[in-house]
Amino acid sequence: MRRGLMGWNAEELPVATLEARLERLRAGMAKAGMDAFVIYTNNTRPSAVAYVTGFTPYWSDALMLVGKTGEPVFATALSKRVSEWIRTTDPLSEIVNTPKPGTLMGERLAKDSTVKKVGVLEYDTLPSGLADDMATAAPAVEWIDGTALFTGLRRETDDSECRLLARADAMAGAALREAETGKATDAGTLAGLVEQSARLAGAEETYIAVAPDLDADKRLNRTSQPTPLTDRFAVRASIAYKGCWVRRTRTFAKDRSAAKADAWFGDVVRSIEAGKPIASQLTAKLKELPGATLTGWMAESCTGSYPLSAVASSRLPAKDAPVNGQFLVLTVELALDSGPWLAAAPLIVGRATL
Amino acid sequence: MIADQRRKRLTDAMQESGLDVLLVYGNAWQGDYLRYATDFGILEGQALAIVRGDGHITLYVDSPLEADRAGLDCPGIEIVLAPDLVGEVDEALNRMRNRSMGAAPQRLLPRRIAARAADLKLTDETGFVDRLLMGKLDSEIAAIRKSAKLADAGYKVFMQAARVGRADYELVAEAEAFFRANGVDDNFQIIGVGGVEVKGMAPPSGKRLKRGDMVTTELTPCVDGYYAQICRTLVMGEPTSEQKGAHALWRESMEAGIATVRDGVTAADIAKAENDVFRKYGMGKYTTSEFTRVRGHGMGLFADTKPHILEDVTTRIDAGMALIVHPNTYHPAVGYMVLGDGIAVTKAGCEVLTGTARELFSVAG
Repeated sequence: MRRGLMGWNAEELPVATLEARLERLRAGMAKAGMDAFVIYTNNTRPSAVAYVTGFTPYWSDALMLVGKTGEPVFATALSKRVSEWIRTTDPLSEIVNTPKPGTLMGERLAKDSTVKKVGVLEYDTLPSGLADDMATAAPAVEWIDGTALFTGLRRETDDSECRLLARADAMAGAALREAETGKATDAGTLAGLVEQSARLAGAEETYIAVAPDLDADKRLNRTSQPTPLTDRFAVRASIAYKGCWVRRTRTFAKDRSAAKADAWFGDVVRSIEAGKPIASQLTAKLKELPGATLTGWMAESCTGSYPLSAVASSRLPAKDAPVNGQFLVLTVELALDSGPWLAAAPLIVGRATL
Repeated sequence: MIADQRRKRLTDAMQESGLDVLLVYGNAWQGDYLRYATDFGILEGQALAIVRGDGHITLYVDSPLEADRAGLDCPGIEIVLAPDLVGEVDEALNRMRNRSMGAAPQRLLPRRIAARAADLKLTDETGFVDRLLMGKLDSEIAAIRKSAKLADAGYKVFMQAARVGRADYELVAEAEAFFRANGVDDNFQIIGVGGVEVKGMAPPSGKRLKRGDMVTTELTPCVDGYYAQICRTLVMGEPTSEQKGAHALWRESMEAGIATVRDGVTAADIAKAENDVFRKYGMGKYTTSEFTRVRGHGMGLFADTKPHILEDVTTRIDAGMALIVHPNTYHPAVGYMVLGDGIAVTKAGCEVLTGTARELFSVAG
């Protein structure tokens, strides 16, 4: 659940920005012949509703309906008492508390005789209870998967989102520096310090993962155990600020062998170009780091309801050429002479900084 | 191991029910059905698991990072990284279509799979898993006991963090640092800061603590997947007589609820005992849904699990269940106030798991 700082701030996320996003969605809907658009949210799939309204649920789930005009309708099973809090994070929507959000959405759609086709983000994975309720209440509606439409909107990153991402990234960077202080000798304590740093700085959510002995196992995991940190370990901080998520991963090595790779990676992140497959860009860049072998990579982005999901990687077959202005989190795994090395950082394609 | 015991109990129960295959769904919000079957505490994305009667379990996750985590946390389970989660599971179910299949929790199943329920003869087995989730094994109660102790310790950290001028989210940050360093992977926590204007609890909003504020919190640490909750209220400075009076009512109500708990009563009986105290003092309206959600709930692999303690919930309370009894609601003179203890139900009554004093705490500014 979300338990960090939550709240909408007009300077960070102006209403005009939200309205512009909504207009882009409506333009896409019109082009696709959709009379309305439905987006699901819960605290693990919050990002599409957060993009359009600023709202992230700390718990439970909800539906949002975007019509051709008017304010979006946000229907939630959270109690009326929670509405005041929802209003502090969502300046745009009509908020409706109902035990049956799906039925309410269906009824609203059925009432409007002009509504024939309704797009649904990630229609296949919409929770069946809500989908059934919507379909029962609006039997004449044709439901269409609207995922491609929404993903298309998310290929661009507006200035407000860039600023929020930069803030989240600053928190992640500062939090990971806790590992340099030597205050923690075990993974659980280090995870606590990293998390504390981010939360004290105002993070909405933090997922901290540690690989305490990189030479033994490169996989990072959430931990609260006193597993000793070895001479070579890695930490990943996935941090959200006002609905915008970044990840940073760093390798910490007592022999300082990570420093050269860190510098190389910083340069890679600043230089990712549009239109060229990431794999080939990494391969070309690797020539600048003699003795290193690329053992894996992944590019994540926020394309729908998930905060971050893989859009291309060495494990998943996909077209991996990024586009200009696209937000990505790039994760790279290398084999160095001294041992394994991992790193991740956010970037905007075509820009030197977030 | 607790996970092995649960898995055996699940497959035995499937056999008794004539169920060959169980499909369970989970995400980081509602992860208890998935955790029961697989022991995986999912953080990102969504997952489905197919449990076969012979004990073979396949866990499908759609995030590469979660596939790595599952590989570390779930020995003995087949892990499949499935970027097309629904498509892959749909195909797997097709291959089992002649078997007796059920699913839980039905309402959260991806629509495309649920739409094929009739074709696949996939029955709704939410209630079947709910019964297993509510009636705990001894090892599960032991894990909740551990969580309850850490909830007590965590509340101390929370109190120490409460100082005039600090922001609400900073208190949460201190509690989380303590929890990560002490075996707590996750925590459900909401907070309220202020006076009569506060109608409930929510995530931190950046409010800074000032003298006279009441600070309410539900702290729900999770150890080995099991959540135990504590609810307490503190005052920044000396409590007023109204705050003390309100707290005395809350305490009488909670203790009436706890005194009612034993094997064989219903959730409604416990709620009625709590609410009768409010009614006795002419405060009955503050037990309604306008002011409060529930008068307690189950504790276990979900922070807010069944049964909900409400006067219209007739679920039988059995020995082996774990609950929190919390008459949390609004008081017109002081604002939203909370008090709750975790308990484990026994044949004759209950074991109170919370060790923190049932006080209205006062924190010097």
